[in-house]
Amino acid sequence: MILIEDLSHRYEGSLLQALDGLSLCLGEGEYVALIGPNGCGKTTLVKHLNGLLMPTNGTVSVDGIRTSDKGRLAEIRSRVGMIFQNPDHQIVGMTVEDDVAFGPGNLRLPSGEIRERVGRALSAMGLAGYQERHPHSLSGGEKQLLALAGVLAMDPHYVVLDEPTSSLDPASGARVLAMVRGLKERGITIIHVTHHMEEVIGAGRIIVMDKGRIVADDTPSAVFGRAEWLKSLGLAPPQMAELAWLLRRRGVDIGTPLHTLEETADAISALARAAHACRRGEGEA
Amino acid sequence: MRALIGNVEGKGRIYRLDPRAKIISAAALSIICLHSTVPFLFLAGTLSLAVCALARIEARRLLRASKPALPFIAIVFLLHAFSMTGSHLVAFKLGAVRITTEGLLQGGLLAWRFALLLLAGFLLFMTTGPALLTSGLERLLRPMKLVGVSSQDLALMVSLALRFIPVLQEEMETLRDAQAARGARLATGSIAARVRALSGLALPLSFAVFRRCDQLVEAMHARAYDGGPRTDLRELALTREDWVVIIAAGLAVAGSFLV
Repeated sequence: MILIEDLSHRYEGSLLQALDGLSLCLGEGEYVALIGPNGCGKTTLVKHLNGLLMPTNGTVSVDGIRTSDKGRLAEIRSRVGMIFQNPDHQIVGMTVEDDVAFGPGNLRLPSGEIRERVGRALSAMGLAGYQERHPHSLSGGEKQLLALAGVLAMDPHYVVLDEPTSSLDPASGARVLAMVRGLKERGITIIHVTHHMEEVIGAGRIIVMDKGRIVADDTPSAVFGRAEWLKSLGLAPPQMAELAWLLRRRGVDIGTPLHTLEETADAISALARAAHACRRGEGEA
Repeated sequence: MRALIGNVEGKGRIYRLDPRAKIISAAALSIICLHSTVPFLFLAGTLSLAVCALARIEARRLLRASKPALPFIAIVFLLHAFSMTGSHLVAFKLGAVRITTEGLLQGGLLAWRFALLLLAGFLLFMTTGPALLTSGLERLLRPMKLVGVSSQDLALMVSLALRFIPVLQEEMETLRDAQAARGARLATGSIAARVRALSGLALPLSFAVFRRCDQLVEAMHARAYDGGPRTDLRELALTREDWVVIIAAGLAVAGSFLV
């Protein structure tokens, strides 16, 4: 469990509170999405989860270990893995296997175990056979999967993803997201920061941030149901949620929750069929 | 550089040798190239070419790799050929320039030394992957801990530098395109103008590098890097074959000084 209590953060030389008295609890095995407009403090918040940033006020603890406990930072960072926006900024190895071995090496594991973990992490991410490849020869999506493998090799309980698909094309983005969802089956808690709400329809919980505070913390249907409010924050709700909302405003309720294209198509065709049957009934009468 | 590093394709005896044995041999060969007498030089050359053959490195590949160094070798040769003074065995005269056989011989010898030095480097790089090379270097430099230098940090620096050469090249291309798109003339005009235009790239490129460094450091910390000792994926172990190579290299250096 990651416990955040009354967390505030102010960057040096800045007058603004990047995070403003925020409390939060992230449980084991959850899939949490973190959304909010640019500059709302999402990235600042997640950088506190593994001690990349230290609270100006308040505390953050990971499985009972405070991030301010400098002697146990390595332990915290092996528990909380982090994937950044641009895979090119986080790959340090000259070859794929060297990169995956970087984290376990920092944990001072013996060579034999490192090799075993590297093999396991690479095959989990569908990169088996890439061991000797050079990172710059991989596609963007493959690089992001490599970054994920590097995190997995440290055997994390939590994986934080900071806009992991924003520099990828849609197909590679989908591949990375499918792997991310796969992490959940391994019992890993996922904290997914994103602008694209379509990506996190499958999340169990959505946290909306604005101006350094949490302004909503609820299920996807509850959050996406408030399409107008999301737009007022400068966010784009999933298109299908917006469609449902527009239809509702015109007096047509196709029901909630409807966030995927499939669900919406089903609901609309059911409605149309009902209307058709109704009209035919009138004609016969 | 790019053609040289990270292009290890072959398999076999030479490739399987411990990187430490290969680094030591290349160093030994370089020492021999620089100071030893002609017979020894000849022996070292023959041996290196034999190793090339054993590792199946084609002459074409060697020539391609040494292309950038050829003008340098040529200049060394010519300077010697033209400027040697002393007792001349036979002297030609071409106008004001005088060429002596002695000069030709000395120039040829020096050129041969440089070529052999290059060959030593090529052999090492062409038979050892960069990752193995840095692992080997890291272990060889471990005694430097006595003077307070961490060989692991050095090895990490080398590997990061190698990792980021292609990345920085891309960055440079992006910047060049961005400036060209706004009318900078980087490929036309006088040489002076081109150099001036290129210097305009230096500042943005340095900013880009610094920004990238910050992000990289953060990513390294996120993966539990704390500057302390680390363990390695590769466990290097010297086999009997490696020891034979290392001892032979040592004997060759000692021999070249004695003979």
